[in-house]
Amino acid sequence: MKILVCCKAVPGAVTEVAVETQGNVLRYRSPFQSMNECDEYAIEEALVLKRQYGGEIIALTMGGISTQEILYTAAAKGADKIVRVDAVVQDPAATSIVLAAALKTLGADLILTGTQSRDSLSSFVGVATAQRLGVSFAFAVTAIEKDGEGAVKVRKELGGGRSADVRLPLPALVCIQTGIQPLNYTPPARLMRARQQRPQSITLADLGLTQDDIAPKGYRIASVARPVRSGQAQMLAGTAEETVRQLLSKIAEVR
Amino acid sequence: MPGNVLVVAEHWNGQPESVTLQLLTKGRELADAMGVALEVLVVGHHIASVAEALRNRGADTIFMADEVALARAACGLQAEVAVAALQEIAPALTLVGYTLVGMELGPAIATRLGITAMTNCVNVEWLDGEIVVTRPVYDGALHARIILDKGAPALAALQKGSTPTLPAAPRDTVVHPLTIDVSAMPARGEVLQLIEEPISDIDITKAEIIVSAGRGVGDPSKLPMIEACAKALGGLMGCSRPLVDQGWLPRERQVGASGKTVTPKVYIACGISGASQHLAGMSEAKMIVAINKDADAPIFQVAHYGIVGDLFEIVPELTAQASKG
Repeated sequence: MKILVCCKAVPGAVTEVAVETQGNVLRYRSPFQSMNECDEYAIEEALVLKRQYGGEIIALTMGGISTQEILYTAAAKGADKIVRVDAVVQDPAATSIVLAAALKTLGADLILTGTQSRDSLSSFVGVATAQRLGVSFAFAVTAIEKDGEGAVKVRKELGGGRSADVRLPLPALVCIQTGIQPLNYTPPARLMRARQQRPQSITLADLGLTQDDIAPKGYRIASVARPVRSGQAQMLAGTAEETVRQLLSKIAEVR
Repeated sequence: MPGNVLVVAEHWNGQPESVTLQLLTKGRELADAMGVALEVLVVGHHIASVAEALRNRGADTIFMADEVALARAACGLQAEVAVAALQEIAPALTLVGYTLVGMELGPAIATRLGITAMTNCVNVEWLDGEIVVTRPVYDGALHARIILDKGAPALAALQKGSTPTLPAAPRDTVVHPLTIDVSAMPARGEVLQLIEEPISDIDITKAEIIVSAGRGVGDPSKLPMIEACAKALGGLMGCSRPLVDQGWLPRERQVGASGKTVTPKVYIACGISGASQHLAGMSEAKMIVAINKDADAPIFQVAHYGIVGDLFEIVPELTAQASKG
């Protein structure tokens, strides 16, 4: 089985966040980038599937040169091949355009993504990419197994303790729910070795795309700021003993 | 003529989900502000009871796409049917829930229609002739306000619990069955079975007080401290998703979009940052208390009472004082 995992480099703590002049891109400073946690689960699941069914794992990311760091992490965990699309895109719809084009070029039986990135918090790109490719898909998947040749059976969460078993013909795109496998620690020595692996680099031109194709459309960001408190949160302060006494009297009021 | 506002219904076992009733509240408010009608789209099979339950809930029209092929269809076909329906209805704004179901259906619909989609919204407003959405970014520490292009159809996915549910009120709701030709649509998957988690001994949805643990507790050895506190207060211990993912607690303890929705009298969030998935499961608690060392944690935006401090100091103190009665 050829498994392709889409993973995203996300910023750590961000500061100086501002809307760029055109109004649909956010600029920020961040001390570091790391692999989006939801995507790490997708990598771990890919490793389990490869052990079980054989095949190869390709880790794909999109971003500037610095995002290559997370591909080394993917390689250290066990990805056979690492690929970066050299494009900086924030807009989720545009991201799905680029990923769909890259996936068409690279080809895969099973495409794995996370459910959400910690910066954009959209939960959009995975399913949107599947739709652009015209392949079957499932969201929030907690188990995958082969179902004969050319199909997988997945269990997906529906919320509130409900789930569904779904048979998906391959190729399929599956958005992996957190917790599907334990996240394994990657020893630094393996990370060092992984750095010798050379990522394949793909440009937008290679994919037949222009900057215009991936320009965010349909909206402008008016502002980005700390949310206004709804005004109800009353902060309790003092020593632990005083704070708890206040809290217990508040609890007594509603019981 | 501008299009209307349309809510895509979520349903289970022939009944609408609570998020759909919330979306109807928001949809009614928007439709009134825009001076248009409010519509609902129900996609599925055997959905007459869903439509019936959605009458008198603020909608002017309920469109029903009832197809046998949808009985065991994966999301791919559901989305195709919804797309065909929406192409016919042509609403100005389509609302879906930012739920696990809506996270799959919303992007699938918007991408096929080629319309702008804004997911994870905490609010959608009509201001000066424009649709404005508010949504979290960067782990929820910040909120972006985004103005959608005038006149362009759009889809917004709203967080569960971001709007209250209005009680039913008499209204002339027209039910309008749609005929959609599904024969040429690719199935792209099949639902083999639906599973509902059995009711366990520990039912946090029945608890009057929940003391919930999040990542902030650091390691599983600290969980007895949280449980002792819950016990002292006469309640149960809950938790956020990451603790279940790491195998520290069983799923029956999990509060949030993918776990249980709880409405206790008192919800005490200990070391929980307040990701939208968690808030979706507890934002309707009567009183929310947040204990967190990070004063900027999003949980403080929904909390009624906040304590910025060390939970390892506060929680044992709370246990001690509550035990004394």
